[in-house]
Order: sequence, then C-alpha cells, then structure tokens
Amino acid sequence: MIGYSLTIEQKESIQEIAYAEYQFFNCVQDINDIWFTFLTDEDKRLIIGTEFEWILKLEEKEYKPKINKLWDY
Amino acid sequence: MGRFDFRTRTGLVYNIIQSSILIDADALAFNSRVTSSGGTLSTLEQTAINQLVVDLKAYGLWNSMKAIYPMVGASAAACAQNLKSSSFTGTFTSGWTFASTGVTPNGTSAYMNTFLSPSVSLSLNSSHISYYSRTNSNNPELEIGAGNSTSINALFIEVRTTGTSYFKSNTDATFLSFIDTDSRAWYMCNRNASNSFNAWKNSTKYTSATSSTGITSNNIYIGAVNFSGVASFPSTKQCAFASIGDGLTDIQAANFYTAVQAFQTTLSRQV
Repeated sequence: MIGYSLTIEQKESIQEIAYAEYQFFNCVQDINDIWFTFLTDEDKRLIIGTEFEWILKLEEKEYKPKINKLWDY
Repeated sequence: MGRFDFRTRTGLVYNIIQSSILIDADALAFNSRVTSSGGTLSTLEQTAINQLVVDLKAYGLWNSMKAIYPMVGASAAACAQNLKSSSFTGTFTSGWTFASTGVTPNGTSAYMNTFLSPSVSLSLNSSHISYYSRTNSNNPELEIGAGNSTSINALFIEVRTTGTSYFKSNTDATFLSFIDTDSRAWYMCNRNASNSFNAWKNSTKYTSATSSTGITSNNIYIGAVNFSGVASFPSTKQCAFASIGDGLTDIQAANFYTAVQAFQTTLSRQV
C-alpha cells in the first residue's frame, strides 16, 4: 500500500485534526516506525486549497505494516 | 407519461407521491440531519430508509437501538449520521471510500468513531453490535467494537480470520467462534443474559455460554476496534449497515436481519 510518509513533526501537526466537518486525519507507523497517512481521492479533493494541501506534495512510499497478530486462537 | 390528471384519469400517480416518500417522522428527521450536514439522499435511499424505520418499529426493534448507521448518501456527512437520533453522530478518519454501496475502510488507518461508550449507553448483560459486510476477505481484521484490550471487557465482531469468525460480548473470557467460508453477510454479536451470548450470521444463530465480566468505557469504533484509544486491527470490509443497541431476543434478531436485508435489497446492494 502506498501512502504519504511523514516526519514526526508533520505527523503531530495533523494527527486527529479535522479537514472536513466529519473527517479527520489519522496517521499510523509502519514496521520501521515511519509515520504514514493515507488519503483517498475524495480526501485529496477535500484538502486541495486548504492549509493541509502540503501533504499532497510529500513523498509517497510503500507502507509495510507491523506484524498484525491478533492473539493465539 | 406525466403527472396523474384527475380530469382525464391518465398519468402517473408515482409523481404525485414522490415528494412525500418520507412518512415516518424519524425517517424525516434523519433526512433533515443528512441535508443539514451537507449530504444528500437519493429518492431511492429515502424510500429505503423510511421502510427500514417502519419495519424496525413494526418488529418492536426501534426502541432497542442506540445507534443505526445505514451508510447511505455516499459521503462522510451522510454516513456519519445516526438514524435513531441526533446523538452519536460519527466522525471518519482519512482513508475511507464512500459509495452508494456503503463505506470501505482502507485496512490500515481508517476507522469511524461512534462516540458511543458501552459503559454509558449499553448494559453489561444487554447489548448488541452489528455489521453488514459486503466484502469477502480472510485476514485478521476487526469490523466493529471496543475494549480495554483484546482480553479485557471486550465487545467486538471479527469477521473471518483464516476461515473463522470470532465474537466477544462484554467479557474477559474466551471467544464465540464458528467456521466461516464467506464474509459477505450481516453479522451481529448479541448478549441478553449474564451467562450466555449469541452471534448471528444472517439468520443463523451461534450460541456461547461465556459469561459477562465487564463493560468497557471506550467508544465503539467501526472499521477497526478501539482498544483503550488505539484503533486496532483495521478492516477492509465494506460496511453497508452497522448498529449498536440493547440485547435482542432470538425472534427480534431474526426480524432484525429480515429488515436489514430488505433495506439492502431495496438499494440493490444485498449480499
């Protein structure tokens, strides 16, 4: 999965911040503890022309999730 | 052919009643909430919502509901609205796709916060959550729920991880589980007694004797599970309906599925 990679400062500037009345940013860390955010085409349309448009200029990288083991079934 | 003409007795009656599709007051109120939030519902969606409310009331289910998210309107503004009341309006993270068929989380970072805390709005021995999945997948994902952790005061639906679906209802103890070969269905986790709870896949019931042990205060998330404020095990399954409420009897549960499936069929998105 491809997402926008963020520095810690960038992550802290948008995490849980609303970009629309019913939508807010959420960032997650990959297996190397690099922060990512993922935006759909609809998300991208919403932030164009806003204070968050800089996100669209960030480098896009392959996201490698942390091991997602739930529990021993 | 145009609007019905009383003089010539020709035309379509449909055009006359089209403007008054929403008859039920709660359906009307929902449409108003969607509209005032910036969303819109198609005529078909309005019709389906109205019938859903009428059916839930006819089956005696309406008063058992705390939150109903019909996921109509193909926008965050519309899908965030609670059909039952103006409480528990949700918010979505980035990473959701909104369509006429429902809402799809990205399986990585997306979830919806319902702002409904089980310890505040539900009861230890009377609660249900449901999720209508339109996606067949087989990964470790949780579709709806909350808990202090995976094993403390957990309330969740985990649809089809390596061929098995898992459920917990206000408990620290073991799962209710069953073999599941296809995750496209309506799922409900339902407790109406301290010493038993049941899971439903469409009209099929599965029972567990697992006792209730505690109820979490963490808000219920949709598209992931909220373990003490951390959205965990995000889902990729498209959601076409979700609900949170009191525990239901077997007859109510069966009728609930009938009503929800009729709703989906009206919208041509049933699975």
